[in-house]
Amino acid sequence: MLGKLILNKEHLSSFLRKIAKEHELIAPVRNRYGDTLLEVVSSVDDISLDLEARPVMPPKGFFLPRVETLFRYQRKDGHYSFKEVLPNVSRVFFGLRSCDLWAILFLDVVFQENLKDRYYLNRRSDTVLINIGCREPMENCFCKSAKSGPFLTQGYDLQFTDLGDRFFVEIGRPRGRELVEKWDYFFRPATSGDRDEQYEIVLEAESKFGQKVDFETAISRFMRYEIDDDLWEELGNRCQNCGGCAYVCPTCHCFDMMDRPVSDTEGERVRTHDACTLAGFTRLAGGHNPRRERGHRLRRRFYHKLPFAQDKYHRPSCVGCGRCVEICFGRVDMIHVIRMVCKKPEGPREASLRLGEILLDAGLISWKELKSTLEKQAGTGKRLGAQLIEDGLATKEEIASALSIQLGIPETEETG
Amino acid sequence: MKDRAQALVREVVPNIYHPYPAFIKEVKEETGDIKTFTLAFADQEIQDRFVFRTGQFVLVSVFNCGEAPFSICSSPTSSKGLELSIKKMGLLTGEIHRYRVGDAVCLRGPYGNGFPLEQLYGHDLLFVGGGIGLAPLRSLIQYVLAKRSEFGRLTLLYGARTPEDIVFEDDLTAWSKEKEVEVVTTVYQANAEWEGNIGPVTNLLEKAAISPSNTKAILCGHPAIISYLVFDLLKMGLAEDAIISTLERNMKCGVGKCGHCSIGSKFTCMHGPVFTYREMKEFPSVL
Repeated sequence: MLGKLILNKEHLSSFLRKIAKEHELIAPVRNRYGDTLLEVVSSVDDISLDLEARPVMPPKGFFLPRVETLFRYQRKDGHYSFKEVLPNVSRVFFGLRSCDLWAILFLDVVFQENLKDRYYLNRRSDTVLINIGCREPMENCFCKSAKSGPFLTQGYDLQFTDLGDRFFVEIGRPRGRELVEKWDYFFRPATSGDRDEQYEIVLEAESKFGQKVDFETAISRFMRYEIDDDLWEELGNRCQNCGGCAYVCPTCHCFDMMDRPVSDTEGERVRTHDACTLAGFTRLAGGHNPRRERGHRLRRRFYHKLPFAQDKYHRPSCVGCGRCVEICFGRVDMIHVIRMVCKKPEGPREASLRLGEILLDAGLISWKELKSTLEKQAGTGKRLGAQLIEDGLATKEEIASALSIQLGIPETEETG
Repeated sequence: MKDRAQALVREVVPNIYHPYPAFIKEVKEETGDIKTFTLAFADQEIQDRFVFRTGQFVLVSVFNCGEAPFSICSSPTSSKGLELSIKKMGLLTGEIHRYRVGDAVCLRGPYGNGFPLEQLYGHDLLFVGGGIGLAPLRSLIQYVLAKRSEFGRLTLLYGARTPEDIVFEDDLTAWSKEKEVEVVTTVYQANAEWEGNIGPVTNLLEKAAISPSNTKAILCGHPAIISYLVFDLLKMGLAEDAIISTLERNMKCGVGKCGHCSIGSKFTCMHGPVFTYREMKEFPSVL
């Protein structure tokens, strides 16, 4: 079976029902209060699937639960011992945001480097990840800047694109292929028309971002230690010390371990989420605290997420999901901190550049060519990119590269 | 495929957080709030596999109290095996101070890089410790004395709060009788019987007869003291990588995952806890 398929929308429920019979199916579900959450779906027909909104919480909790029992221990007749409690699940995630899927791949590296974390691996090794590319970025999304969306080129098991009445399905890793081959009667091969349409959607989605965040400039300033302490002091004053940013972050993975006594003879060793912005995170017995000031803890947080991650993993650990932007009322979030770090004496740019202008800016096409293509496009109803490619004015690669260059341009305006 | 992946995880990956049963072989009261515990694993096979270096640490689980890191204060050359000196500070340390010979704890480790022995061979060694900070230094001092011919002169400057707070008193006396070894102690607050030095350990530095070009300094104590010592040692002409210290951080997992002991882009539990000053100054405001 080829790598690109079509799944008609009316077959989606049947496909998901098949999956849910054999695996734990997790999908974004809108609840009766209007919030979208990633949930275990027991009955496909009873849920309201939401493939548009970003779920309130990232998927990390399914791999690193908020609270998990690592061991049960007991002490009897002078013998004190630990017995591990290992998770064992077979899961399929459907409808992940691209940024969230990318974040899981990041966690894979963290929990497998040096020494492997058995708990994480037991939850992860039998997991299938299916993302749906985002056609409409939300207000605070900046995955385009973080290079982890809105569509992925690798890392997924299956990637879905909404083509209106049908889904365009790309097969990535072997687990995705297995799933499709098992229930191949739901799928048909995609035509070249389907492919072009999907490609257009990708290009269009990429041009729709209102938020552009200049990771490169910020990281290089961090690496050269060009950021003075005043910035951290100011951020420290604005931080409310709540840990919310780490809690909603799809890649934050710091944890604490503690004992929960059950009785005089037994108890559980549990692992919980923790956050480097909390005061007790680095406090030692005796009270000495290497990062006593809030500003110092924030400096730690952003150094860790940007230059240190860049140094170690060749990319920042931020995937641009925008959740910290929405949760932090002190505006100590990735967008605002990077803008503060990058502040340059430059005039504000337009928030969003249309595809034509971007290609014009990049010198790929002339104004005349753009104008004539636009006129032609009005007649054929084709998308601009497709028309340009058809007329031989630009190649797919050229368009894609122009887009990534232009959208990476430093954004200096302060957003409301 | 599914089954294979699962099997792979089960067979190959050991549980890095698993503590193993051990028991207390000996308890020695050092001061009013510090005790030295001699420990051994209950399982002989695990005990045989447990090979440590000077300057490493272990994580000790105490029933219903959680887990905490402690520096190993004995040398791998010591016949006593694994010794930990523990100061009564909170819940876990308070509980283990109530334990007696034969009581059970759980252990995992050893963790950390340990002292860079290869950089120390052939050099004069200057040890400076404060309070319980003598514990990890003791591990290395014992090692040096066991392999005496491979190291130069040994000087130990040790400061405690009061004469009652001096740890390893027998060791200090025994070491001072060894050849080419000088031991100088000081207390911050003297009592009626005290006839020795009074003042912070930093005061002893000027009196120490060391040759800066051939000396490696190994420090352990409160961070405030360390930063004074580093300043003075640099002034005396020691190179940045000739100053070695162990850093104390809130180590939870011991295996570089939990993030608590992070320092710069490194983890104290894996890349440390022993760092040279040259390495330490790369970390923003480490001391």
